[in-house]
Amino acid sequence: MENDKTLLTAPAPKPKHTAKKRKETLFLICMLALPVLQWLVFWLYVNFSSIMLAFQDQRTGEFTFTNFAMFWDSLISPYGEIRIALKNTLIYFCTSLFVIMPIALVISYFLYKRVIFYKGFRVIFYLPAIISGVAMVAVFTNFIDPTGPLGTIVKLFGGEIPPEGLLGRPTTATWTIVAYCIWTGFCGNILLFSGAMARVPIDVLESAKLEGISPTRELLSIVFPLIWPTVSTQIIFVFTGLFTSSGPILLFTNGNNDTTTISFWIFSQVYGNGAVGGSGSYNLVSATGLCFTVVGVPIILFVRWLMEKIPAVEY
Amino acid sequence: MEKVREFNDTILQNEQKMKIAKEGSILSKRGRGAKILFGIIFVVFLLYAISLLLPFVFLITNSLKGSLEYLEDSIAGKTMEMPDKWLFTNYIDAFQEMKMVNSRGQYVYLPAMLLNSVWYSIVCVFCGVAASTLTAYCLAKYRFKLRGVLYGIAIFSMTIPIIGSSGAAFKLMYELGIYNSPILPFLTNFGGFGFNFLILYGFFSNISWSYAEAVFIDGGGHGTVFFKIMLPQAWPPMLTLAIMAWIGAWNDYMTCLLYLPDYPTLASGLYRIKQSITRGGNYPQYFAGLVISIIPVVAIFIAFSDTIMQNFTVGGLKG
Repeated sequence: MENDKTLLTAPAPKPKHTAKKRKETLFLICMLALPVLQWLVFWLYVNFSSIMLAFQDQRTGEFTFTNFAMFWDSLISPYGEIRIALKNTLIYFCTSLFVIMPIALVISYFLYKRVIFYKGFRVIFYLPAIISGVAMVAVFTNFIDPTGPLGTIVKLFGGEIPPEGLLGRPTTATWTIVAYCIWTGFCGNILLFSGAMARVPIDVLESAKLEGISPTRELLSIVFPLIWPTVSTQIIFVFTGLFTSSGPILLFTNGNNDTTTISFWIFSQVYGNGAVGGSGSYNLVSATGLCFTVVGVPIILFVRWLMEKIPAVEY
Repeated sequence: MEKVREFNDTILQNEQKMKIAKEGSILSKRGRGAKILFGIIFVVFLLYAISLLLPFVFLITNSLKGSLEYLEDSIAGKTMEMPDKWLFTNYIDAFQEMKMVNSRGQYVYLPAMLLNSVWYSIVCVFCGVAASTLTAYCLAKYRFKLRGVLYGIAIFSMTIPIIGSSGAAFKLMYELGIYNSPILPFLTNFGGFGFNFLILYGFFSNISWSYAEAVFIDGGGHGTVFFKIMLPQAWPPMLTLAIMAWIGAWNDYMTCLLYLPDYPTLASGLYRIKQSITRGGNYPQYFAGLVISIIPVVAIFIAFSDTIMQNFTVGGLKG
């Protein structure tokens, strides 16, 4: 193992400050200076500044807990914007974890098992990832319009879409956007799961086939355990986005009809009405973000720990 | 010697062909019950594929209609029907007439948005992939004191979500004077950590250091090793990441809306144009603009779809 490492990386630096080592250090400084500086300014400073803003009064800049009080009020009030945003965010998160990911896994399996026209399907299924959300949403909105193709289909079956449209009602607006997210949400997962499945040793499948294994058993008992490292990584990534899960709210409703999510609410607070310079109300945004970060981090660490507990199959 | 090499190549090629044939046989051959299941799945996939292709049909057909015809069709629920008269002039009109007003009260037309999309996406790709390559290479191939710290930062930044920092980021950019300035994407995209870093770190970790030793013996330096030996080998994953980053940057509307309001790209500009169109407005022209905006991505995707799929198939994500 150690031999492998010495073959793959540069030898560890010697304790003496030789000319060779100085050159190596200079090279590393030249290579890493800009990315590290960028991280220090645009990640570390920004996040530190965000924590400071959370404890500052927006007008006076004095130390205060007012922002947290405002956050709490909006969270516990039945009509509070943050409460609605949290509810919707959790809907999008659950959709990603319990609907999109399992379906993407099944789709990937059948593509891997070479269903007819699998190469074409793989390319077509990736299209939502390459087409601008602006274009996709424009088409989808027209499609679900009461006078659009969906309206015509619903009429054929004797039903009717409300005149204000599915996006015009608080009861249906979020679920309509969720449907859009499911429709367009498989592409990234399919790409990663297909990549993992391509590395499954063919001999294992051959032996299973000789035993007369069914496709369902093959997927659950052979393929799934073998691609578990990729699946668990994806699960961790979905949990990383626990409080930032969202759909293209700006393009659909601009947050109207109770469709706002935490990430959209943050965006709209910073963006304001689109005027140059934004809204300027960053303190409440920072306090809200800090609260969700404090809740989210232990959850993610727990999920990571849980995923690591499940043993991965070595092959 | 030449004949021996040719013979070896032929054996290797035959082995490869046999392996592919074996794979094909195991993955494609199935019993009767499985055939029925795969038939059903094929129908489901076909319907889903059609649903994903319909938006293109919708966009293209409606982009060729007159505005009045589109209005009548949308009231009558006939938006999927072919145009009475194919108005290709909508595309020329979109280029000449579609516009939005920036903060200085100036009109920004579609060609300017196209130009903004081009430079913005190129900057995002170049800076993003370059920075990730630099950090991934150094952390994968060199052992130095801060290596562990930097690797920890890379993983920490990726997996621990800090929510709500966009307000502070916005404030910082305003104070630095890079808000609404073309310098902004250069600085914000030069981050060396993230998804690109992980992929390239895995790639560089698996390249043998013996190549570098050979260069050092010949009198070459660390720069020669990186630029002449390592970088050419890293082109395939870098190209894949660059294409994906380019598609992301081309379609990104929120960053431009938020930080570059006076430099609208096609994505952010078309969003703002859509906001100003009233019911009964010239939607076909807007659809023509949307078609123009998706042509470059579709073209790039068609050209490089094999590269994207293969590189992800070969590399995948390390869990």
